[in-house]
Amino acid sequence: MVNPVRIWDLPIRLFHWVLAALVVFSYITGKVGGSWLEWHMKSGYAILALLLFRLLWGFVGSDTACFSHFIRSPLAAMVYLRALARGDVRPVVGHNPAGGWSVITLLGALLLQAIAGLFVDDEIATQGPLAVKASNAFVAQMTRLHDYNQWVLVAMVALHVVAIAVYRWRFNLGLTRLMITGTLRGNLAPGLSVPRIRSTGLAVACLAIATGLVYAVVEIYPRMR
Amino acid sequence: MRKITVAAIVLASTALVAVAQQPKPEDEIKLRRAAYALTGYNFASLGAMAQEKKPYNKDEAIRNAEFVALLSTVPKGFFSEASQKGETKAKPDLWANKADFDKKMERMNAETAKLPQVARTGDFAALKKQVADTGATCKACHDDYRAK
Repeated sequence: MVNPVRIWDLPIRLFHWVLAALVVFSYITGKVGGSWLEWHMKSGYAILALLLFRLLWGFVGSDTACFSHFIRSPLAAMVYLRALARGDVRPVVGHNPAGGWSVITLLGALLLQAIAGLFVDDEIATQGPLAVKASNAFVAQMTRLHDYNQWVLVAMVALHVVAIAVYRWRFNLGLTRLMITGTLRGNLAPGLSVPRIRSTGLAVACLAIATGLVYAVVEIYPRMR
Repeated sequence: MRKITVAAIVLASTALVAVAQQPKPEDEIKLRRAAYALTGYNFASLGAMAQEKKPYNKDEAIRNAEFVALLSTVPKGFFSEASQKGETKAKPDLWANKADFDKKMERMNAETAKLPQVARTGDFAALKKQVADTGATCKACHDDYRAK
């Protein structure tokens, strides 16, 4: 008898796919420029809200979403990767010790990009909402950061996709399917426990808080004297 | 007497023009940067209206558009070979590809020239489009010839 096990809760899966879509959309609209920059900015605000939601969900969410669950020592990550290099895929529930660091750095780099974006001034016709609140020197720094960090993100997204492909073709693990359905077909390896899943209602509350914060930062604060 | 005065003024003004025609390289930089700063200020106002971050005001838009159209024609005269060095964000590439730069400058001026007439029609959608088209021609040069 095989019991399906819920690994990724609905909020995490929605977060992941909406974020992925918005990151691609942001990249394209940023490159096209012109009047698409309005959409680029809106997409950036949505990404910022999603990232803040993810931070909150990393503290109060389901087990597999919690930072305390998947942030392991760098040593543990090394051990995991070494075993992987030998072809030994250590079974885990949620992020593996190396993947956890990948998640943290990817979320961190995205957060940096979104926050820097708030201060960008392209010195043509488009400004981030906080550019008027900061010195020109700081705005120039953030503009450069927003520009260079995009390539860090492109590299990290590429690494992410390559890693998923390696798991798929080399180790026969369908991580993409798991991120869509959230459910593992088959029994958990011995020693692993079924993760606790939190209610979607709690996630909606977290998203509401995150959205409210972003709204205050991009719509209310810039209009204050 | 009057003739002499007029002649003197004409002479004096041609002398001034002669001076104004060949500014020192560091003054070229100063002049083009000043023109860009004022162009940028006025274009940013149009951009804010186009992006609905600031209420659309036809008269203000016309005034901004006229300034942009006029001021944006100023810098092209102040990019002599000698003005590469100094307090400028212009990359050396600009002078290495001067023909391309001049072409892009011309394209930009062609778009800015359309701004006042579009602004005068009071057609907001058309203005929005013209601001976007103009912005793209600004960006073309910034991408290639302006240090970050």
